[in-house]
Amino acid sequence: MEGNGTKGPPRRRVELGAFVVGIAHDAAGGTVAAATGAGKVVLLPADPLAQDAPRDVDVHRGASLAFCRGPSGTDFLSGGDDGRLVRVGADLQATEVLKARRGWIDGVVAHAGRSMVAAAAGKLVHLVTPTGTHELGPHPSSVADLCFSPDGSRLAVAHYGGTTIHLTQKPAEKPRSLAWKGSHIAIRYSPNSKFLATSTQENALHVWRLASGADMQMQGYATKAKSLAWTHDGNWLVSGGVELCVCWGFAGKGPEGQPPLELQPPGDEPVLITRVAAHPAAPFVLLGFADGQVHVADIAKKRVTPLDGPTGSPVSALEWSPDGWRLAAGTEAGTLRLFDLRPRG
Amino acid sequence: MSTGEPNQIPVTVLTGYLGAGKTTLLNRILTEHHGRKYAVIINEFGAVGIDNDIVVDADEEIFEMNNGCICCTVRGDLIRIIGGLMKRSDRLDGMIIETTGLADPAPVAQTFFSDDEVRARTKLDAIVTVVDAKFFPARLEDSHEAEDQVAFADVILLNKTDLVSPEELKAVEAQIRSINKFATIHRTQRSEIDLATILDRGAFDLERILTVDPEFLHAAKHGHDHHHHHDHGHDHDHHGHDHHDHGHDHDHDHHGHDHGHAEAKAPAGAAHVTRHDSTISSISLTIDGPIDPDRFRMWISTVLREKGQDILRSKGVLSVAGEDRRLVFQGVHMLMDSNWGQPWRAGDARTSKLVFIGRQIDGEALRRGFLACARPA
Repeated sequence: MEGNGTKGPPRRRVELGAFVVGIAHDAAGGTVAAATGAGKVVLLPADPLAQDAPRDVDVHRGASLAFCRGPSGTDFLSGGDDGRLVRVGADLQATEVLKARRGWIDGVVAHAGRSMVAAAAGKLVHLVTPTGTHELGPHPSSVADLCFSPDGSRLAVAHYGGTTIHLTQKPAEKPRSLAWKGSHIAIRYSPNSKFLATSTQENALHVWRLASGADMQMQGYATKAKSLAWTHDGNWLVSGGVELCVCWGFAGKGPEGQPPLELQPPGDEPVLITRVAAHPAAPFVLLGFADGQVHVADIAKKRVTPLDGPTGSPVSALEWSPDGWRLAAGTEAGTLRLFDLRPRG
Repeated sequence: MSTGEPNQIPVTVLTGYLGAGKTTLLNRILTEHHGRKYAVIINEFGAVGIDNDIVVDADEEIFEMNNGCICCTVRGDLIRIIGGLMKRSDRLDGMIIETTGLADPAPVAQTFFSDDEVRARTKLDAIVTVVDAKFFPARLEDSHEAEDQVAFADVILLNKTDLVSPEELKAVEAQIRSINKFATIHRTQRSEIDLATILDRGAFDLERILTVDPEFLHAAKHGHDHHHHHDHGHDHDHHGHDHHDHGHDHDHDHHGHDHGHAEAKAPAGAAHVTRHDSTISSISLTIDGPIDPDRFRMWISTVLREKGQDILRSKGVLSVAGEDRRLVFQGVHMLMDSNWGQPWRAGDARTSKLVFIGRQIDGEALRRGFLACARPA
């Protein structure tokens, strides 16, 4: 079941039939891949006008729980509830990268520049580098999320009680701990590496200034934010868990004492934002909503523009293509939508 | 039977002191050909055969929520695991969460009240506690966990009944009743029980638990009757012996029998039974009519905020003025949740019932507070 819309930018809609866990584009931007709750990885052209049928491969016995582009830029990585981390090539060849001794693999990130992969399994993180595989942890609790610093020198891990920052080139060295009581569930380095942001189970965001270790707490969210995004320039931090596009300003002196910029999405009924994704080169943030709507927030113009209407299912995955012209949105009910924002005519 | 959203997956929390028979019951769930798909969340997974079910390893780590509420502890790993299970494409008929023998059931139960996503997708169906008929009296002496697990229970498997005499069995049942008057007790051997009697019971059981008045039976055994009302014509599961054939048929007949209040003159009745060697007691409160929902909400949130550390569990089935459905409410310590339940039928006595199980319960204050929530006739 699929179709092309008639209004707005070119779009394509494909039903994958299972929870869209993650979306990634290959580095060249020609292929978009999605991993599903049925344990499949699906590949299709990123161009919404292409007619090619999606191709898929069974990767996990149960569900895929984490997904990203591989460090080579041409393949993809899926972690699953069978404890396996699997690499899927453009030819749909699936190869096991590692198998956790215990638990699920429910977090996976890659760093292209240093050819590294990190995967979370329970309290441990498996760091795969060109020279070998290292086990990091155990962390104080199960790892909720992880991210590399922009230059790949560090790997930050979110867990109960704060975050742990490992040195990727010296994995045996004692990591740095940044403590804040509560359960940290998502983590993102700012693009300039000055800040480390987390969201917490207690419906707040927490940000550390990495040079000094000083930290700040942003509250007032309707629910926990499972999705965090920094704009490409590091000037704004945006998250889900709220019905407005709340943008915290990190240019200049930072957000302390300043109210955030709040952009009101159009529409009469407020709807919760479930996913956010920052554009790779401009101050645009994609907003995915609990009813399936997708909007684009232009922070410079302080405007939110709807891109697509409700599907009835929460947006569960949202990604820009590397060049920032295309994007893909997936929902919990398994709808994958592709858009192309390239100017036409 | 559900009190919540149609797609909420029922969750059973399985507790029991070390050696009570919890693992035997769990193995039964995992190996029986029950034709249903359960996710079983356990601490350590031994070598048992699995039919159709999903087994998930959990870390039993308890998180203190950083929200200023000292008794607001949750199982952080459960939130992660339930989020992961919800991504699967196969439909689950239920989730069963095992806790270790020494675990306090509160953080597990509270997880289902405190996380928005977990609340939206699952509902706490019942806390099932396996009790060793032979060693429970000794456990009560040397551990507060065994007592807490009984206090929290909605359903109790009084297990290993073949190892005790009929007199010992009666005595241990009386001990259980003195802690928790409201749980349904099933007598079992080797944890043998029809799973349908303990899994996915929903509001029906809550309503039945509150409709049957077990403290009458308890009081009768001790020959002193504190209670002011009782019902006729129920099936008294907790007095039967291995009622494996009961509970498949969730008919509502017994609601139609609810007319036998011997002393119906009092608009509300409170009854209180305290065990001498225990600090835990349970209390039931009744209003023979509807409540004012706003007053009730204000009152119950104040009670739970101020006394929630001592109140282990609260449950209620309430008649709300101007509403055709029952309001079903349950709480663990300071956290609570309420949903609309089954509609009242013609001939039902629309009474509002509430129970509290906890330490240092001031029954008289609670009775007065609840009475003040009655909607003036």
